[in-house]
Amino acid sequence: MSAFTKKFAAFVERHPTLYKMVLLAENAVKKPALNCQSCGQCVLSYNAFTCPMRCPKQLRNGPCGGTRENGRCEVYPEKDCIWFLINERATKLGREKKLLKFHKPVDRRLQGTSAWINMWAGRIEGMSWSKDLEEKDVQPGGSKRDTKS
Amino acid sequence: MAQLGRLESVLRAGHFAVCGEMGPPQGADKGAILKKCGNFRNVADAVNLTDNQTAIVRMSSVMSSVFAIEGGIEPIMQMTCRDRNRLAQQSDILGAYAAGVRNVLCLSGDYMSFGNHPDAKGVFDLDSVQLIHTVAEMNAGRFLSGDEMKSPPRMFIGGAANPFAPPMELRVMRLAKKVAVGAHFIQTQPVFDFPRFERWLSLVRDQGLDKKVFILAGVMPVRSVKALLHMRDNVPGMTVADEYIKRMEAASDPKEEGVAICVEMMKRLAQTPGISGVHIMPVMWESITPRLVQEAGLLPRPEPPAETSDAAIKDAAA
Repeated sequence: MSAFTKKFAAFVERHPTLYKMVLLAENAVKKPALNCQSCGQCVLSYNAFTCPMRCPKQLRNGPCGGTRENGRCEVYPEKDCIWFLINERATKLGREKKLLKFHKPVDRRLQGTSAWINMWAGRIEGMSWSKDLEEKDVQPGGSKRDTKS
Repeated sequence: MAQLGRLESVLRAGHFAVCGEMGPPQGADKGAILKKCGNFRNVADAVNLTDNQTAIVRMSSVMSSVFAIEGGIEPIMQMTCRDRNRLAQQSDILGAYAAGVRNVLCLSGDYMSFGNHPDAKGVFDLDSVQLIHTVAEMNAGRFLSGDEMKSPPRMFIGGAANPFAPPMELRVMRLAKKVAVGAHFIQTQPVFDFPRFERWLSLVRDQGLDKKVFILAGVMPVRSVKALLHMRDNVPGMTVADEYIKRMEAASDPKEEGVAICVEMMKRLAQTPGISGVHIMPVMWESITPRLVQEAGLLPRPEPPAETSDAAIKDAAA
């Protein structure tokens, strides 16, 4: 993020009422449309704009082994497996490659904060609009770690 | 001099590996583990010690793994993300390594609602891919926080893969992630649907993943057609080919037929390119393991070198 957005984020964070207004605007967009779970570190752009935190196990790196044959969740058979949906939408949008990104452990301190402000402040990785993985998305260790040979 | 785990040395030497699996007791009796160890000694290269599987409370997988060493077998300590946060996971790995555990299998964990404490809070601080990343970092001498540690462990890191749950392309993607963050070996769900397994495996081979990680295919001996139907109907993410259900139904001695099916599958997997070993899951029927391994022609097990020099370990890790 640029110096300007960082300054702006710092300004907002100094003013609690303003912060609440930004958070309200963010939630107004994300909660009804995307069932946002307020983790404060959005990965929507990597997951075909479908929130993986809706998974009962909060799996951010792909589905568990329990997806049912009909694409439903093992825990709540009446609901879709969120990763099954992500895969469908990613295929439709041509964003399959984005799914390969390794998402680091969640920073639990950010729960309930504004992901937009966290992004402007440079506290979290920002959105990534391109359909391909970018340089910053390459896994730690990456292909260097050829574990077998 | 440090000791390389038996499973790792068997795999790195290019042998076809055999893993077993046993559940710790639902009680405080260590003898129960020592007794079960007899079924695997000199039969399996390593044995999984499950971590509160299906979310039912049992003796901890860490302590059971330590008792298994006492019982003369090499443990693969299972570790789920359901019951521990990142602090507990890292401290358990340090303790287990110090006690002689050399293999860890990183799992998300069955959801609480399947077990005997459905009212419990699930932790899920990390997911299984992040847990593999964490252990790989620890092997490299760093905690997840980035802090350095003085005497790092050197775990042989495992992950799971389910070739049978949809969507298949995502299964391969997740496997690729696990490999990229540092998994050394992969264990799969039991194979009762070979054509589907083959389709998954060909996608895996297309990406060259079988060259980067040791894949151990799961097999399971069943004693009745009921067990097989249970797998098909009540275990989410499992598929069973009709062929096996028909065979089990028609069999006059279902136990013998179950053994025959399992041995057939083991032989078939041993011939399959890209598969480095089998992982036998004899749920509540551990005593059948020696016969399965014998009839599949996988005995005697290769004897790994007793001691490995630090230089050799470094070579293996490079």
